[in-house]
Amino acid sequence: MNSKKTLEFKFERTIPAPPAEVFDAWLNPKIPGNPWNMAEKLLLNPQVDGFFYWLIKGNSHYGRFTEMARPGRIHHTWMSRSTLGEETTVTLTFTEQGEDTLMTLVHSGIPDTEAGRGHEKGWNYFLDLFPKQFGHASRRSL
Amino acid sequence: MNMEQLTDVLVAISHPTRRAIIRQLTKGPARFLDVAKPFDTALNAVTKHLKLLERAGLIERRRQGREVFISFRGEPLRQVAGWVHEYERFWNERLDQFELYFRNKRKKEKKY
Repeated sequence: MNSKKTLEFKFERTIPAPPAEVFDAWLNPKIPGNPWNMAEKLLLNPQVDGFFYWLIKGNSHYGRFTEMARPGRIHHTWMSRSTLGEETTVTLTFTEQGEDTLMTLVHSGIPDTEAGRGHEKGWNYFLDLFPKQFGHASRRSL
Repeated sequence: MNMEQLTDVLVAISHPTRRAIIRQLTKGPARFLDVAKPFDTALNAVTKHLKLLERAGLIERRRQGREVFISFRGEPLRQVAGWVHEYERFWNERLDQFELYFRNKRKKEKKY
């Protein structure tokens, strides 16, 4: 059993396009904003048990796609220098909302390290002051 | 959020009166005189505080009939919080770009 403290981050965005289009765009390295865009080096095989490798600013990232359910869900692992060799997971869901898509990204199992939290100390006071305003990008310590 | 906007938000929340105004407005929109009431300071000073909060995008004014209501906007604070952890920053920046791409695309499609 892994007793290390880990973090989970959840993000939500309303994307003005149908889920299938958003799903495909997330896997297209030419579209700005997805992780694969602007990579210095990219190997991407987006299918179940397919791997990815991407290099950005000298940092290597690796992962394996474990679930691909177009247009609703993508699940893959994620390893980098920042995860300290731990296999973290990224889950994306795409839910139809009229003409738009509610896109949710959850990144789980991130090691809770001092380096990763380097900016945090100065912000805690207002995170405590305004907890209700942070509903869209929530964080959890697990 | 660019560095200039980040600075505006940090400046806005650096003053105790402005933090108190924000705290007050989190309870709901209020008129100018209601916002100024709890503070032992000139109305002119409150106006200046509100201008800084407005510049940071933390409040907005909305006219309802003859009255103007001031309300709180939490989004800039949420974005500042996105700078907390490197992965929060990373995903927020990426998702903002991704969303913007689609917003611009829809705008262009509506034009033609």
